Amino acid sequence: MAETSLSKSRTARGAPRAFGARLTRYLRRSETARGYLLMSPTLLIMTIGIVVPFIILLVISMWTRQGFSFDTTLTLANYARAWNEPIYGALLARSFWISGVATVATVALCYPMAYYVAFHVHRNKMMWLILMTLPFWTSYLLRVFAWKVILGYEGVINSGLSAVGLIDAPLAFLLYSPSAVIITLAHAWAAFAILPLYVSLEKIDKSLLEAATDLGDGPVARFLRITLPLSMPGIIAASFLIFIPTTGDYITPALLGGPDGAMIGNLIQVQFGAVNNWPMGATLSIVLMLWIAALALAFLLVTCKVQERIA
Amino acid sequence: MDVLDQLGAVRERKLSRRRFAKGLLAAGVAMTTMPLPARRAMAAEGDQATYFTWGGYDIPELFKPYQAKNGALPNFAIFGGSEEALTKMRGGFVVDVSHPCNQSMPRWVQTGLFQPIDTSRVSNWGDVIPELVDLPGNDAEGGKVWMAPFDWGQTSVTYRTDLFELEGEETWDMLWDARYAGQLGSLASGGDAWWCGAIKAGVDFDDIDSEEAFEKIAAVMREQRPLIRVYTDDTTTLEQALAAGEMVASMTWNSSAVLLQAEGVPVKFAKPKEGALTWVCGVMIHKDAPNLDRAYDVIDSLLSVETGHFMINDWGYGHSNRKSFDAFDEETLAGLGLSTQPVEILQAGHFQQPQTQEWETRMNELFEQIKAGF
Repeated sequence: MAETSLSKSRTARGAPRAFGARLTRYLRRSETARGYLLMSPTLLIMTIGIVVPFIILLVISMWTRQGFSFDTTLTLANYARAWNEPIYGALLARSFWISGVATVATVALCYPMAYYVAFHVHRNKMMWLILMTLPFWTSYLLRVFAWKVILGYEGVINSGLSAVGLIDAPLAFLLYSPSAVIITLAHAWAAFAILPLYVSLEKIDKSLLEAATDLGDGPVARFLRITLPLSMPGIIAASFLIFIPTTGDYITPALLGGPDGAMIGNLIQVQFGAVNNWPMGATLSIVLMLWIAALALAFLLVTCKVQERIA
Repeated sequence: MDVLDQLGAVRERKLSRRRFAKGLLAAGVAMTTMPLPARRAMAAEGDQATYFTWGGYDIPELFKPYQAKNGALPNFAIFGGSEEALTKMRGGFVVDVSHPCNQSMPRWVQTGLFQPIDTSRVSNWGDVIPELVDLPGNDAEGGKVWMAPFDWGQTSVTYRTDLFELEGEETWDMLWDARYAGQLGSLASGGDAWWCGAIKAGVDFDDIDSEEAFEKIAAVMREQRPLIRVYTDDTTTLEQALAAGEMVASMTWNSSAVLLQAEGVPVKFAKPKEGALTWVCGVMIHKDAPNLDRAYDVIDSLLSVETGHFMINDWGYGHSNRKSFDAFDEETLAGLGLSTQPVEILQAGHFQQPQTQEWETRMNELFEQIKAGF
């Protein structure tokens, strides 16, 4: 009796060991399984953090508001509203306009900085990069507030200009306007442009530049024919990194935009707040996402075509 | 290592990238470790009550009795408008005490998110002005109440006496004065602005829930919108703008005018000929309040004479404790637009009335559209 129970327990202990060995063997042999295993933490986070919320958003966007609760029959009524009522289209267009201008401004302003560090700084490059991104170690909100102080009615710019005697009354358009939002976004996201631009410029093989000079290109032609096309990946990456998040930005227009600087992010926020229409807010979020995806694709196609032509 | 040869090859680039990664790592470590002490500090205060209130009410002056009893301030959470607050709590945000006004109280009760207040547990209850308790919808069963009144006051126009050239009497038209386009301000929440629009449009509050009223009020709000510099629920923004002369007039509550006057800014809180908007706000207890005893401490603290003195003296609001007024003479109170007989003041203006949820939602939706320019 004792003997049998002993042998039983031995086999029971042996079984998982055998199973474990088989699993290990399978994992070693199958490359796909190994790949998925390696990716599993990322996949898990992606599923929990992106796929599941997206599905929830999609489902809610097809509900409708009913007093305080939701009518859960699936319908596209919210999408029809988003399409038909002019306010949504207008705010979307304004958001794209503001963040488009901010993106162009940021990339144009950061390119020379990245260029300088990549080509003309030979010592302590890391320190230069850290110094350039130092302002971005403070909170985003703090930077937006700082701009409120700079652009304000009694702010740095206005008091500076009036001290010099250039203006009599403070310039009111600086704050609470779309231009205030553009200026702030262009500064607040600069770090996201400098780093990719720097990386792509740094990677350029300097012998190509020497060759171009040897073959008779002046500095401008050399820049246009070698440096600019080769740094295109950095420019594209920087544009995406700035354009995509700024389009849905909420806090900058809320604090600095005034009535005319409101963007789609503010409209989405009020759907979840005072207006109390969560399904509509979800719909607007998805519409925004689709538009950004479409615009990003178009931008990518155009730049690819342009690059092909240059090359 | 420091000298990077530009025309050099992969080795340098590798090094710089590694250093770059090191820098990133350092930044990452710094960022993740920094908030730790702050988080711990929050945890220590976790057993205090949470008071969900309007921006500006999160100050120690209102909680001296609470602080004396519990050794710390309650935790604060802030909202800009009561509809926003309700939406948040309906979304699952649990607090101990919140701060609605008479107009939204019946709707708050309907959501079932609140518990009646046992007035026998509030030591200052005996001194509360009864007219402020006796509001439509404020009777829970067993002699309990839903909302303990705390502050009452007016929404009106605060204007710069030196910059705003008054034509005749003080009136709501001041906020529609095209001479000062771009120099006028407004509260952003429809809970104030829409009702002020109703006064301006001449809509009786009894008829505010009608198609005609919506059209009339929307028309005046649209007319006002291009004149407004900024809509905000942040009273500090409005006060600073008035102090700087960026705005010459703005829709505010009593407190903005009193605070600015104390700073020596020449402002006046208008008594519009059409009447100001009047309201009573109070506190309600969440049904799942995790710190019920402390929730009653918050209420007691807010209703105390000590807090009342501050409310009247520093902010110019009416208080619900009768005894708070004893320290002030009639003249001072009249100067602040207050009286020991709150009903007189409330009835002299336009007193907000509870509306249905449909009305509230429709109003907010429409007002948001108007603010966005549609």
